[in-house]
Amino acid sequence: MDMSLWIQGFLSIMTPEVLIFNFAGVVIGIVIGALPGLSATMAIAILTPITFWFEPSCGFAMLIGVWNSAIFAGGISAVIINTPGTPASIASTFDGYQLFRQGKGGLALGINCIFSVAGGVVSTLFLIFLAFPIASFTVKFGPTEYFMLALFGLTMMISCSGNNVVKGMAMGFAGLMLSTVGVDPMLAVKRFTLDTTALVAGVSFLPVMIGMFGIGEVLNQIYEHKKSVEARELKLASSAAGNLGRILPSLKQLLGLVRPAAIASAESAVIGAIPAAGGDIASIICWGQAKKLSKHPEEYGKGSVEGFAVSCTANNGVLGGALTTMLTLGIPGDAVTAILIGSLMMYGMQPGPKMFTDNADFVVQIMQLMLLSNVAILIFGLITAKASAKILNARPETVWVAVCVLCAVGSYALNNSFSDVIIMGLAGIAGFFFKRGGYAPGPFILGLLLGGMLESNLRRALVLSQGSLMIFVERPVTLVLLILIVLTLFYPLIKKRFITKAK
Amino acid sequence: MIRHMFGKFAKAAALAAAVSFIAAGTTASAAAKFPRKQIQIVVPYAPGGASDTVARIYGKELEKQLGKPVVVVNRTGASGAVGLESVKNSRPDGYTMSYMPVESTMISALGLSDISSDDFTFVCRIMTIPAAITVSKDAKWNTLDDFLKYAKENPGKVTVGNSGPGSIWNVAAASLEQAAGVKFNHVPFDGAAPAVAALLGKNIDAVAVSPSEVKSNVDSGQFKVLAVLGDKRSSVVPDVKTSKELGYDVSAMGWGGFAVPKGTPADVVKILDDASAKVAQSQALKDLLAQRGFEYAYLNGKEMDKFAKSQLESYKVLIPKLIKK
Repeated sequence: MDMSLWIQGFLSIMTPEVLIFNFAGVVIGIVIGALPGLSATMAIAILTPITFWFEPSCGFAMLIGVWNSAIFAGGISAVIINTPGTPASIASTFDGYQLFRQGKGGLALGINCIFSVAGGVVSTLFLIFLAFPIASFTVKFGPTEYFMLALFGLTMMISCSGNNVVKGMAMGFAGLMLSTVGVDPMLAVKRFTLDTTALVAGVSFLPVMIGMFGIGEVLNQIYEHKKSVEARELKLASSAAGNLGRILPSLKQLLGLVRPAAIASAESAVIGAIPAAGGDIASIICWGQAKKLSKHPEEYGKGSVEGFAVSCTANNGVLGGALTTMLTLGIPGDAVTAILIGSLMMYGMQPGPKMFTDNADFVVQIMQLMLLSNVAILIFGLITAKASAKILNARPETVWVAVCVLCAVGSYALNNSFSDVIIMGLAGIAGFFFKRGGYAPGPFILGLLLGGMLESNLRRALVLSQGSLMIFVERPVTLVLLILIVLTLFYPLIKKRFITKAK
Repeated sequence: MIRHMFGKFAKAAALAAAVSFIAAGTTASAAAKFPRKQIQIVVPYAPGGASDTVARIYGKELEKQLGKPVVVVNRTGASGAVGLESVKNSRPDGYTMSYMPVESTMISALGLSDISSDDFTFVCRIMTIPAAITVSKDAKWNTLDDFLKYAKENPGKVTVGNSGPGSIWNVAAASLEQAAGVKFNHVPFDGAAPAVAALLGKNIDAVAVSPSEVKSNVDSGQFKVLAVLGDKRSSVVPDVKTSKELGYDVSAMGWGGFAVPKGTPADVVKILDDASAKVAQSQALKDLLAQRGFEYAYLNGKEMDKFAKSQLESYKVLIPKLIKK
C-alpha cells in the first residue's frame, strides 16, 4: 500500500472529532469491559445504531476504541475480583488475582495495560503487513482443525489443575459433561433439558464462569474471614501509609517479559484470524504454551508475572487477527466483527478482497484507528490503574457486596434471562465447595467452554468423511496439530527420560 | 419446575391484567390510552445480527409513530424458543412485542418447544429472505441442473453446509433435495457465517444460506450462486434465476415480522398494526433492507396470521420428513 494513503489517513484521523470519538469509545469500553457479564459484543451492538448518525471515520473510531479497551478492561476485574470482565480474560484470572492477593495489584493492573497494548499493536502490525498470507492460511481451517484446536485447548487443563492433576482432570470432565446439556449440535434433539426451555439453549459458560470465580471466591473469603482478620489488619496498616504497590514494572522485569509476550502476540494474531476461534481460546493456549517454555513454570497459576503478561497480550492480540479475516475475506471471525461488517455495509462498503482496492483509504484508517486506540488505552489505562489500585483499600465486606451485585446484574444482562442468574448462583455455591475440596475451577470452565466446539466439530468432521477417522490424519494442518498435542502430552515423560539418560 | 412456576405466575399476572382491563371499563378506553408507557420488543436472537438490526430500526420508527419509547431486548437460545416463550408468557397488553422469525413456525415441528406462531397475533410482516444455493467459483457446476445431475449420480457425496440442524436453511436444502430426487450430505454449522467460511476454505461443496451472507464473496468472484429458492428473484443477485424458473417446484425462504401475545385486545392490535404499516413505508427501513439484502415484503397483521398458519401446517408435515431422527 502506498505511503500517500497512510499520510492522508493519518491526517484524516488526527482531527478533533475523530480523536474525541475514539477517546470516548475507549472510556466507555473500559467501564463496560470491567463489569463482569457486560461484554465487548454487547457494548458494540448497542453503540452501532448510534454511530450511523456519525461520519464513517468517527463512528468507527468509537467502535474500535470500545472494542480494544473492553477486551483490555476485562483484565481489570480479573485482577481485582477474580472474575473475568469478558470471556477473553479467562486466563488472566489464573495469575492476575494471585498477584493482587500478594499485594501486587498495582503492578498487575500496570502489566495488564502495557501488555494488552503490546498485543494489540503487534497484531495490528500483522494485519498491516501480512493480512493476505495469514488469511489464506486460516480460511482453510475446517472441522478437523477446529477439533484439534479445541483438543489442544483441553490439554491446558493439566496446566491449570493446581497441585492435584487427578482432581483437575475430574473437574475438566465434569465441565465437558455439562457442555452436552442442550440441543444436539447435529441432530437438533434435546439432551438433559429437564423439560425446561431455559436448558434447551444449554448451560452457557459465562454465567457459570462469573458465578464460580466471583461468588465462589466471595464465599470462600467469608468462610476464611476470621483466620485472615489479622493479615488484613496488617495490610490495612501498610496501605494506610499510602503504599499501593508499584504500577510500572522495573526495566529488568520488562525485558524478561519481551520474549514470552512476543511469542504470545504472534500466536494470538494467527489464532484470531481463524474464523471461529477467539480471545478466550487464544489466551488459554498462549498461557499453556508459555508455561511449557518458561524458566519458572512452577510460578504459573500462583501469581506469575510472566504468565499474566502472556494472557494479557494474547487476548488483545487476537483483535488484529479477527480484523484480518473480516477485511480480507469478508467473513466474521466472532460476534464483534459480525456487527462491524454490518456497520461497514451500512456505510456502503463491502468487506472482502475488493475492499483493499475499492476502499483502500478506509482500510488504512481502520488500521490507524487500531493503533490510535491502543495509544489511548495506554494513557487512560495507566492513569486509571492508580485509581483502580485504590480498591485495594476497600473493606472486604464492601467488595463482597459489590461483587455479588455485579455478578447478579452481569449474568442477567447477558441474555436478559433470570435462569442465567440461577445458574450463576448455583455455580457460585459449587465453586465454593470445589475450592474447599482443593478442586481447581479452571479445568471445569475449560471443559464447559471447549466442549461444544470439540463435540460439534468432531461430529461435523465425521459427517464430512462419512464416518472415517482417517480424515484426522489426511489433512496436513490437522496432522501437525495432532503431533503438537501428542508432543505436549508426552513432553514431561520425554524430558524425564533424557535427564535420567544423561545421568 | 422453576420455569413451570414462572409460567403459572405469568398466567396469574395475565389473568389479573385481563381483570383489570375489564374493571377499567369500556374497551374503547384501553385503546384511547394506548400506548401510555414504553414498549418492549423482544428479539429472540443475538444483538448485531440481521433480525436484531431490523428490529432496532423498526423500533426507532415505531417510536416516531407512537410517541413513546420503544426498547429492544435480546433473549437468545433454542432457535428462538427462549425469547418467544418469554413474550408468550408476558402480559398481553401490547407493551411487549416479539420479533417473529420463520423459526416461530418451525420450532414445534422440530420438537424444541410447544410454542408456535399460533400463540401470537401478528401486526405485520416486513421482509422475506430466499435461500441461495451457492458454490465456489472454480466448482465444476455452472447451473443448478449440472449441480443436481452430479448429486444424482453421486448420492450422498455432495456436502451442503447450512446454518444449523433444523434451521430454515437446512430445511431449504432438504426441500431442494426432495424436489429434485437427489441425496446431499448435509453439514450443519453453528450459524451461517461458519458455513460460508467453510465453503471459502473448500471444506464443503456448497452452502444454502441467504444471498446477503454470500454477497461479498460473490462480488469478489470467489463464489457463484446457482439459484435462489424464493418466489421472486433476490435483489442482491438479480441475475440469478429462481428454482421455480429453472423448473423445480420448491420455495424455501426466511421471513421476519412482529407480533404480540394472543389475547391482546383487538383495538390495541389495530393501533400497532396501523403504526407498523406506516413504519413499513419509511425510507429508513427500506434502505436498511436493501443494504442488508432482504426483500421488502410487507403484509398486514391479518394477512400475516393467515400466511403463518399455512407455514405452520406445511412445516408440521415437511420437517419430520426432512430431518430424519
